[in-house]
This record gives sequence, structure tokens and C-alpha cells, in this order.
Amino acid sequence: MSYYLGLTQLIGIHTLLGLSAYILMLTGQLSLGQAGFFAIGAYSAGILTVIFELPILPALLAGAFIAAFFAFFVGFPALRVKGLMLVVATIAFGEFVRLFFFNLSWRVPRGDIEVGPDSTNGFREIRYFVANGWSAWEITAFVWIFVILVMAVLWWTDRSRAGAVLRAVGEDELAAQSVGINLTAVKVAAMTAGGFIAGIGGALYAHTATYIDHLTFTVLLATFAISYPILGGLSSVFGTLVAVIFIQGVLVEGLRFLGDWRNIVFGLLIIAAMNLKPSGLFDPRTSQLLKRAVGLGGGE
Amino acid sequence: MSDFLLEFVEITQTIGDGLFFGTTYALIGIGFSLIFGAMRKLNMTYAAASLAGAYVGLAAFTFVNAPAPVVFLISAFASGLVGGVVYITCFRFIPINNHLAALMASIGALFFIDEIVVHTTDGSPLTFPAMFDDVMFELGPYGIRGDLLFVFAVCIAGTVGLLYVLYRSRLGLATRAVSQQDVAAQLCGIDVHRTNAVTFMLAGLLGGIAGAMTAASVGVLSPLITVPLTVKGLIVSVIGGLGSIPGAIVAGLLVGGLENVFLYFRGVNERDMYVLLLLFVFLVFRPNGIFGSAIERD
Repeated sequence: MSYYLGLTQLIGIHTLLGLSAYILMLTGQLSLGQAGFFAIGAYSAGILTVIFELPILPALLAGAFIAAFFAFFVGFPALRVKGLMLVVATIAFGEFVRLFFFNLSWRVPRGDIEVGPDSTNGFREIRYFVANGWSAWEITAFVWIFVILVMAVLWWTDRSRAGAVLRAVGEDELAAQSVGINLTAVKVAAMTAGGFIAGIGGALYAHTATYIDHLTFTVLLATFAISYPILGGLSSVFGTLVAVIFIQGVLVEGLRFLGDWRNIVFGLLIIAAMNLKPSGLFDPRTSQLLKRAVGLGGGE
Repeated sequence: MSDFLLEFVEITQTIGDGLFFGTTYALIGIGFSLIFGAMRKLNMTYAAASLAGAYVGLAAFTFVNAPAPVVFLISAFASGLVGGVVYITCFRFIPINNHLAALMASIGALFFIDEIVVHTTDGSPLTFPAMFDDVMFELGPYGIRGDLLFVFAVCIAGTVGLLYVLYRSRLGLATRAVSQQDVAAQLCGIDVHRTNAVTFMLAGLLGGIAGAMTAASVGVLSPLITVPLTVKGLIVSVIGGLGSIPGAIVAGLLVGGLENVFLYFRGVNERDMYVLLLLFVFLVFRPNGIFGSAIERD
């Protein structure tokens, strides 16, 4: 049972990671740096609960705000460039963050042991949940409260003026600019919001995993982050959730019998999916067909 | 000699070594630029394909004990072949204006190739043959490593060869025509897909040389090099101005030289962080790179 609870937590955390890329993709920007914001959230929250002995909730929010802060500052120089150049800039940012934590050593004595990030050896002592006697059920519920909150806020944003502005920038920058939308403000706001969401995800990840090191936050994780919204399509936040359940729940778990060869299959699946459905597995047409098949909203 | 002079010699020596090694970055950067120039798309698989070529060469070294020059040649041609396969699987059938899908597909191919390498070698570094690694030239207070000089010469020869093909052959004419205006090129009877495939193979050939030279000058080949080499190649092509070949050459030497300066002052663990910061400095002050045009932004 605890295995499935762990999987449920992982799906929730990866949904947050995917949504952080999703909000940025609404504005037509692709970032391969989401793993960097995820890492900042994970390390900041971990340091706050372990070294400063804060409770989980303030530590988590602080982690999210720190990640958002860095996203804000990365946003300005990085968003001066568009499209593929932004991909390069964000990859570089993600790698920079990973190397920073690769070098970060901040050990403080706690009782008769030392705790804190230990550069290449990773950050091992994030035991807030264990130390406070949380059950696996409670941890899972805690993770999913944040997932549902973020999804609700994004769903509501999509139905407000802000959502229309985001999508307008994503559809056609020139048209958006000519109706008086401040492109830089919108893009940096989306970047900051993405950083905040990735920060929450990272903070939750650090505390459920109890151990993090720089190898967790590689380009592979950033690729996962963007592959969820790409596969799930941009028509709604539920696409990302479905894509995470499909990849983490069905593919990664379903292919467990392949052992180490799983990642090779993952690469091949991305290539196949992009060749067969270049606009995402759940592009508007497919999701319309799916909706009609299950008898929802077929009247258009 | 005074302490100051000694330190000066040491630093200039370091920069010189970096410039020699920087030619491999220049080659990878040229490869990214060549493909970007032809299709306006990023081929994320490029560095991985280059190292895959070097691994094929290494297999020839391990199993039939091929001499080093043959190993280098096999590496180049294998990488060219991989380049062609990458074109067919990740670019040929994806709509021309869908940049995201091609990018994702090539990232998929990057992990695919990387995983195959990790599986066949168990992820452990393997010794790669070098040439002239026991030669050392003395030039006043400086020493020039023979193997680095060889790497430098081969990379320069590769670049000159590429420029010759691009500007003095019908194939190069077709490549340049497609990169300027693919519809017009098609109207002139140029087969765009075939030309693009050849461009990918050409870039792959160059990448294979760079991969083999990187491995030869480091002495080992390891899957751990893949992502750093990809990132550095991308940085070089962005700093040089995406799509610009002279820019990639200058930026490659710049990154190679500065990398060794960072290595000298800050150590191996922090070196790459400063190279990445260099990219951000360029993004803030000169987002189009050294040789990029101001109007044509992507």
C-alpha cells in the first residue's frame, strides 16, 4: 500500500512540475530550466526545516518564494531572447543551479551528527515528516492539497482576463502587443508563477524523498517537466495531470519489467510521439473526439 | 625569475592550452550553427551523436586494435551516419514550422543514444587512444603538449574543409541556398530534404572529429561528457550568434581559453558555473551574440 501512496505523491509532485512549465507554455515560451527552480525550492525548504528547524508550511512557502524570486530575475535577461534561444538560456540556468548545489556544503552540528547539504554527497537528513510522526496517508493528502490548490488557481486564471492575456501572448505576440498588452510584464509574470509552482513541487519532493542530491535535478527532469504539457496539450490543466498519470503511472511503472532499459524506451516514445502527433497527444481535435466518446460536451 | 613572472607564464600557458582545446568546442558550435542555419531548428542530439561516433571508433580500437588515425576516421564517419539517422527520425517527417516537436524529438534521441552508450559500457569511462601524447615542444618558458597541438591542427583542418565544401562546391551552394530561402531553392530544382540530410551528415562528420579529439585530449571517453558538451556547444553557438560559423569559431576559442582561466583560479568543480555565467553576460549585453545580426532574432 505504501508503495502506491509513494507513487501517488510522486504523481502529485510531477504534476506541479508539469504545471510550472504549462503556465509558461501558455505564453508561447519553452523553458528547460524548470528543474533548476524545482532544485531551488527543494534545497531552500530542506535547509529551512533541517538547519533552521522551521515547521513544514512556512519552509515550503519560503522555498516557493525563493524559487519565484530567482525565476523573476532569470526572466528578464532570458526573455529578451525568444524561442530556441530561450531554450538554450534556460538549459544553462538549470545546469548552473545544479552545479551550484553540487558545490554547496553547509554542515551544522545537530546533536552528535552533522546535518545539511554536503556537496557531492547530497543532502540526506530531510526527515521532517518522520520526526513529526506523519503517516504516509497524511503526507499524500498534504501533497495533493497543494496540487489541487494550484490546479484550481490555474483553472480559475484560465477563465479570467489574466488567462486570456496569457493565451493572447502565446497565440500571436504582435497582435497582443498591438492591443496594448505589455509583453515583458506578462512573460516575466508567467516565469515567476512557474518558478513559484516548481518551488512548491521541489519543497514537497525534498521532504517526501528525505534525500536529494544534484543528480536529481538534471536536464532529464527538465525534459520531463516540458513533456507533460506537450503531451497533455495546452487546452486545460487536466491535460498535464493526465499526461503525468500516463507517463509516471502507466509508462514508468508499467515498464518496470524492462528494468534499466526503461529510459531507452522513454527516448524512443518521445521520438515516436513527436513524429506521429507533433502538436501533442491530446491536441484540441483528439480531446474533442475523446470528450464526444465519453459523452461530455459533444454538442459543438 | 620573479614570482610575478612565474605566475604570468603559468596563466598564459593555461590560456594557450585552453585555446588549443577550444577548437573542439568551436567544431561542436559550428555543427549546431550549421543545422540551425539550414533548418532554423536546434538539434539537441548533436553532441551525443558526436560522442556516439567516438564510441564506434573506440570499439574498433578495443576489438581489432586499430591504429589511432583509423580510429579517428571511423569516429568521424560513424558520427556522420548517426547525423543522417537523426535527421530522418527527428526532423524529416515533422512539419517544417513546428520547432517544438523537432526539439522534443531530438531530446528524445539524445536520451536514447546516451542510454545505449551507458548500457554498452556500464557507464564507466574507457581509455581513448591519442596521438603524439609523449611529444612536448619547448618554447622559451612555455611547453606545448604534442597531443593538444595535434587536436588543434585537426580541428582547424576540419573547419577549413567545411568552409571549402560550403563555399566552393555545388553541394555547399545548395546548402546555402536552402538555408537562405528553402522555397526559392526548391523552385530552382534543389531537393530540400536531400540537402538537409547531407547538411546533417556533414555536421555529424565534423562532430565526430570533435568527439574523437575531445576524447583523445582528455584521454578517456565517458557518458558523463554528453550533457556538458551539449551545453557548451549550445553556449558557443549562442555566444557566437546562432547560425554564424565565424562566430562559432571565435566563441569556441573564447570559451576554451576562459574555461582554463576559471579552472586555474577556481578549480574544476566550479569551472563550468562560470562558463554558464558567461552566457548570461552575453544574453544581457549582447543577446544576438558576437556575429549575430541585430534584426534577425529568433
